[in-house]
Amino acid sequence: MKKRYALYAAAAVIALSLSSVPDLVFADAGHSKASKTGSPGKASDVSRTINVTMSDNFYEPESIAVKEGETVRFVVKNAGEFVHEFNIATAEMHKAHAPEMMMMVEHGVLEADRINREAAKKMQASMGHGLHDAPNSVLLEPGKTGEVIWTFPKKTELEFACNVPGHYESGMVGKIKLSH
Amino acid sequence: MLRLSLLNAGVVGLSLLVLSSGAAGAAEYSLSVDRVKIDTGDFTRTGIGYNGNTPGPVLRFKEGEDVTINVTNNLDESTSIHWHGLILPYQQDGVPGISYDGIDPGETFTYRFPIVQSGTYWFHSHTGFQEPDGAYGSIIIEPKKREPFRYDREYVVQLTDAHPHSGSRIMRNLKRSADYYNRKQETILDFIAEAKEKGLGATIDDRMMWGDMRMMPRDIEDVQGFTPLINGKSSSQNWTGIFKPGERVRLRFINSSAMTYFDIRIPGLKMTVVQADGNNVQPITVDEFRIGVAETYDVIVKADEDKAYAVFAESMGRTASVRATLAPTEGMVAEEPDLREVPRLTMADMGMDHGNMAGMDHGKMSGMDHGNMAGADQSKMAGMDHSNMAGADQSKMAGMDHSNMAGADQSKMAGMDHSNMAGADQSKMAGMDHSKMAGMDHSNMAGEAKKDDAFYASGSGLVPSAADGGKFLSYSDLKAQKPLYEDREATREIELRLTGNMERYIWSINGVKYEDADPIVLQYGERVRFKFVNETMMTHPMHLHGMWSILDNGNGKWDPIKHTVSVAPGTTVYTETEVDAPGQWAFHCHLSYHAGGGMFRKVIVEGGPKSTSAKPSSVEG
Amino acid sequence: MKNQISRFLILCSVGAMVPSTVIAAEEQLIWGVQVEQFENRFTGDAQSDVMAWDGDALIGTDELKFVVRSEGEFQTRSERLETMETQLRLQKPISTFFDAVAGVRFDTPDGRDRVHGVVGLHGLAPQWFEVDADLFVSDRPSARFEVEYEALITNYLILTPSIELDVPLRDNLDAEVKAWGPKMEVGARLSYDLVDRSVAPYVGVHYERVFGDTLDLRQEEGEEGDGLFFVAGLRLMF
Repeated sequence: MKKRYALYAAAAVIALSLSSVPDLVFADAGHSKASKTGSPGKASDVSRTINVTMSDNFYEPESIAVKEGETVRFVVKNAGEFVHEFNIATAEMHKAHAPEMMMMVEHGVLEADRINREAAKKMQASMGHGLHDAPNSVLLEPGKTGEVIWTFPKKTELEFACNVPGHYESGMVGKIKLSH
Repeated sequence: MLRLSLLNAGVVGLSLLVLSSGAAGAAEYSLSVDRVKIDTGDFTRTGIGYNGNTPGPVLRFKEGEDVTINVTNNLDESTSIHWHGLILPYQQDGVPGISYDGIDPGETFTYRFPIVQSGTYWFHSHTGFQEPDGAYGSIIIEPKKREPFRYDREYVVQLTDAHPHSGSRIMRNLKRSADYYNRKQETILDFIAEAKEKGLGATIDDRMMWGDMRMMPRDIEDVQGFTPLINGKSSSQNWTGIFKPGERVRLRFINSSAMTYFDIRIPGLKMTVVQADGNNVQPITVDEFRIGVAETYDVIVKADEDKAYAVFAESMGRTASVRATLAPTEGMVAEEPDLREVPRLTMADMGMDHGNMAGMDHGKMSGMDHGNMAGADQSKMAGMDHSNMAGADQSKMAGMDHSNMAGADQSKMAGMDHSNMAGADQSKMAGMDHSKMAGMDHSNMAGEAKKDDAFYASGSGLVPSAADGGKFLSYSDLKAQKPLYEDREATREIELRLTGNMERYIWSINGVKYEDADPIVLQYGERVRFKFVNETMMTHPMHLHGMWSILDNGNGKWDPIKHTVSVAPGTTVYTETEVDAPGQWAFHCHLSYHAGGGMFRKVIVEGGPKSTSAKPSSVEG
Repeated sequence: MKNQISRFLILCSVGAMVPSTVIAAEEQLIWGVQVEQFENRFTGDAQSDVMAWDGDALIGTDELKFVVRSEGEFQTRSERLETMETQLRLQKPISTFFDAVAGVRFDTPDGRDRVHGVVGLHGLAPQWFEVDADLFVSDRPSARFEVEYEALITNYLILTPSIELDVPLRDNLDAEVKAWGPKMEVGARLSYDLVDRSVAPYVGVHYERVFGDTLDLRQEEGEEGDGLFFVAGLRLMF
């Protein structure tokens, strides 16, 4: 009897400590699956679709309003001439994601107007990570369209932003307004 | 005579009174050219200003409109106004002797031209030395289309190097004694300090090497003794820009100095460069950048903290600085950092003419006492036999075991590493006679791991580094956001050797002063590749009027588009120009006393719009 | 050369009055006055104290300069002009660091004017030595060689050692010199740039000495063959 309670207690402690560990521990900062920022949504739960157009270097619309807990499908089109990202995360996560994107530029993966898949493979081989799909973001070449389905959390200050070096600082970021 | 005080803190600049925004796409402005009193806090003097002030007003134009500018000359001498960086008909360019005869005293001249671009530019007198005397202002052109960056407020940050002496007096003094204004020369006390550090032999060798050439390694700023100003204010007068924490602020930096390059940083804030010389660049975030004379850089900063930030400009020669403040409320003064150490030119900066290395007596190198080269690990330099350096033939350098030179970054050995020369045609260097290369400056090889920049000679003493660590902007980082022209092969190349006689303070191009030179004739529709070879030890900001200079910085179709291109000592820089502006244009070094000393040319563009040419892609914002 | 002289003359007459209206399209007019020495020379004996000066005024262009050079010594006690020389020189660059000089020199010793032609070199030798080498052509010819060096103790405190050697090529009894008996002047002046490079007070030493037959001549006349002076004066440039 005592042993089982100890086991439950241990499990609870572990669960509690794991849930309070910052998102950074799980995968890459910008690609977190933790519940703080929401979670990847299921297509069947989608309540509405929002079209997002990416240009050089800004989004249309400039801000997005969603309900807490809502699952939204974002259809993202890159109408610009440069590669852009649509990434849902907190401001801190975007900041942490920037050096990773910079590394992709330095390794020749992320060129101004295209994604170099060859270089991405090399980077994956030598560094263990390169291009990878993340549920909370899409990285699109000019003219391409992508999709993000996301279930929003409660009460978190979220932004959608592009972390291609220099784009966030140029203002390619928008607020996600969460309402009850 | 008008006696007017300078701008108040917090005001960007006197906004120009728009006389009439008449029919859609037209606006009229008026400027008067006046004698004004200048008070920098360090000195007072009489200078020249626009509408009673220096700096002059911020002119705001709209892309697509036709502007009319009436300029009234209230001076007792001729004047002119040149719109720096603007594409317009040559008769409106404002250069006496090339565009028109200038504006006589009492006369009002009316400029009329369409605005075909957007961004940050400036204007200044092109007569005598009126610009150093205060005749400059700024231009903001609002784009038709949305810009690829967002900001909540903006400020013009215009720099100058105000001097107590008038421009013509400075020119006269420089002509009689080239080092008249250089108070950072190496002294006997420096010699003693250096001898203690590097050894007597090495220090003597070093001094003799420079003395042989009659040149000074501390000759970076020809004119010292100036008080740098930001928007007309010195550090003590503290120009202040207000912001709300969390806002994105656009700072339009313009270097309107006569002679001074500034290194700009805002301690605590990163800057994202979004525009260079009025043209959008792919955004690049840096901690510090160097702005050459006549250049402009637009940056976005996001100041999140409720405190005062220092906008700090330090002269390249580290002789003077100015601090402006970005603050959430009036009355705050940001801390001003100290000046850094005065840099020293190296042998790499000595104008090495790759076709002709005459004058460098390599025979003197045998006398160098290698035993005394402090900082370099002597024991490993045994194999260095300089007598075998004939030709650039690497196989002959076998005796020189570079891999063993502890503490010295061999890629930086003065004058030896040419692989870093931006755009340099390596195949032409075969004929280099190394047997004539004198004085390799070994004293600078000890432990100096300065980051290489392709736009400085390898081993240069001028390579900048960010004071607080981080990234320093390089020309190589500039990439056009939207190229203005198709990327195509140049139709011909024109070599312009930047030359001069420092001792006599004579400056020239290809050894010929402006008054003795033939104009450069270009054909409308061609694409000219200019090869600037800097054979002097000074940095020259070369400015071509009326047409864009596409800087070849290795970015192919993303090569940035500029109006002013800085050429560092001992380097070769390439630019390309689509010749699409008929008429005649000025082309010169924008250092006022170099242009005045002869480093100037008239460019004549023959032919007109009927000729076949590469069609420029539509100019968008 | 002809083109340059005519351009130079036109410019001198016009340029000084009309400010340059075009940036760089016209030749820059260079002008100024420089007084390298303006000093009192003291010895132990007030009788021999002397006020001396050495300066020049120049006007010209990069290609051709016209220089008026004046030097002299004035006996303060007896209020007598001991020596005075006025040179009118034309200087033309012949190399990166040297000018060729041609002109005339007028002397005023003891009431008898003396005119010489001047041919020489003026410039900056390697290691920063300022050099003047002149040949004075007349019936009392001489050669003169001057070297000066500016040693910066700091950027404002400057020590200027100098040496001047005057070699008479023929006897000149008015000037109390004999052929091949040179006169040497050695000086060391410590100056401080008080106002830019415009006003720099200095102190120093000045030593004069004659050699050879000139020495004999002087001694026969009961004069000293050499003299050491302490100097204090002003360097001016404007």
